[in-house]
Amino acid sequence: MNEAYWAKNPSAPFATLIAVAATYCHPEAYGGAYADLIDRARSPEPDDDEIQVFKGQLTEALADPSRLPDDELFKAVDYGDGSDERFLRRLWRDLYGDEPMAGS
Amino acid sequence: MDELRADPDEPGDGRTSEHSDPEAGGEAAFRHRIEPRSRTEYAADLEQRSVSGWAPDGARVDAPAEVLRRFEPRRAGLPEVSADQAAAYLDAHRAERPWLAAADGCRPEVQRIFAALDQGGGHAHVRHEGWVTEEMNQRRVAYLEDPAQLDLAKRAVGIDGILSGNQLHRCGSIATRITNPEAFAAAVTRGVEHPDVRAALETSFKERRAPGQVILPIADLLGSHGYRCCTGWQLDTVDGSMKTARERRDAFAEALARRTIPDGPEPRARPVRTFDGGTIIFTFGPNHGRNGYEIVTMYVNPPERAAGRDTR
Repeated sequence: MNEAYWAKNPSAPFATLIAVAATYCHPEAYGGAYADLIDRARSPEPDDDEIQVFKGQLTEALADPSRLPDDELFKAVDYGDGSDERFLRRLWRDLYGDEPMAGS
Repeated sequence: MDELRADPDEPGDGRTSEHSDPEAGGEAAFRHRIEPRSRTEYAADLEQRSVSGWAPDGARVDAPAEVLRRFEPRRAGLPEVSADQAAAYLDAHRAERPWLAAADGCRPEVQRIFAALDQGGGHAHVRHEGWVTEEMNQRRVAYLEDPAQLDLAKRAVGIDGILSGNQLHRCGSIATRITNPEAFAAAVTRGVEHPDVRAALETSFKERRAPGQVILPIADLLGSHGYRCCTGWQLDTVDGSMKTARERRDAFAEALARRTIPDGPEPRARPVRTFDGGTIIFTFGPNHGRNGYEIVTMYVNPPERAAGRDTR
């Protein structure tokens, strides 16, 4: 069985955010993965439900990073930003630029 | 171990036996015949051995020929390769692709898997397999020196060996390998057969999309003692935090890449104590033809407590 956080329980908190971030932002992701995510987020296809859920969960996580499950984001992404919040802020900036977050 | 690195007569600055010249005469040539490893390479091996109990020639797993023969390159998005073609491929490319040397002397079934992998776009056999030494992994995680980078000047400043355009290499807080080529081949074969990996590989291709990682227990693919074939190095935490260590390591490596003096202290890495209870992670991406997906990499990960992760 796939032991990834999001695979064990797809409805777990922030499962889509963590899954997408792991796929595209982990240092071992394929070359060009981060650029693909930026394109995918900026020009979402109509059937791309996952990227819409991802954006919603990114917004929620940025509103209150303490709601993220313990260490799951860092375990999945192994980012170099120093904290969940700084990683998420960089992600939002790179993907959505100056677009205000929903609810902000 | 520091005393081994500090000998002024030895390349303690990261130069390894890759740099030594066994053809040169005199004492250096004599020493190379007795101990082909540099002192820094020897020190890394010794440190790994003392922490994890790793034995360079001691770890074996059950990799029956019939299991390895089951490997179907096409099912992994790779070109079909016969045993004869594999031997010829390894002979033809060994000089410029030194990671293929790991398959030297292995059974034809193992050589076939290495030859097939090498013709795909994945890098598991380049960065996470036995040709990588303990010192190379130690330096990869501490300084972002990419084992796949064969230009040693570029490796020293963190230039990636696979990505084009002199991009900086990327590495997380840990660098690991499967030390035995037969175990590695068995993990590939059984991994490709696993239903979750199959589902990822058979996902309908769409531009800009990729299947998520699949994380499987080492024991499922290599048996209950398979973890003994795994070694790794992880960053030392800073103020108890791996996140801080990771951030500072990147800043240090970026300074080296700019050929400036880093502000912060030098990153330190230590061996992973055990992979018992650990996992193998499969990562996917578009294939060369951009009409399907392939395994971009496959690497072992220790259980969480052994990884020393943190929530800070």
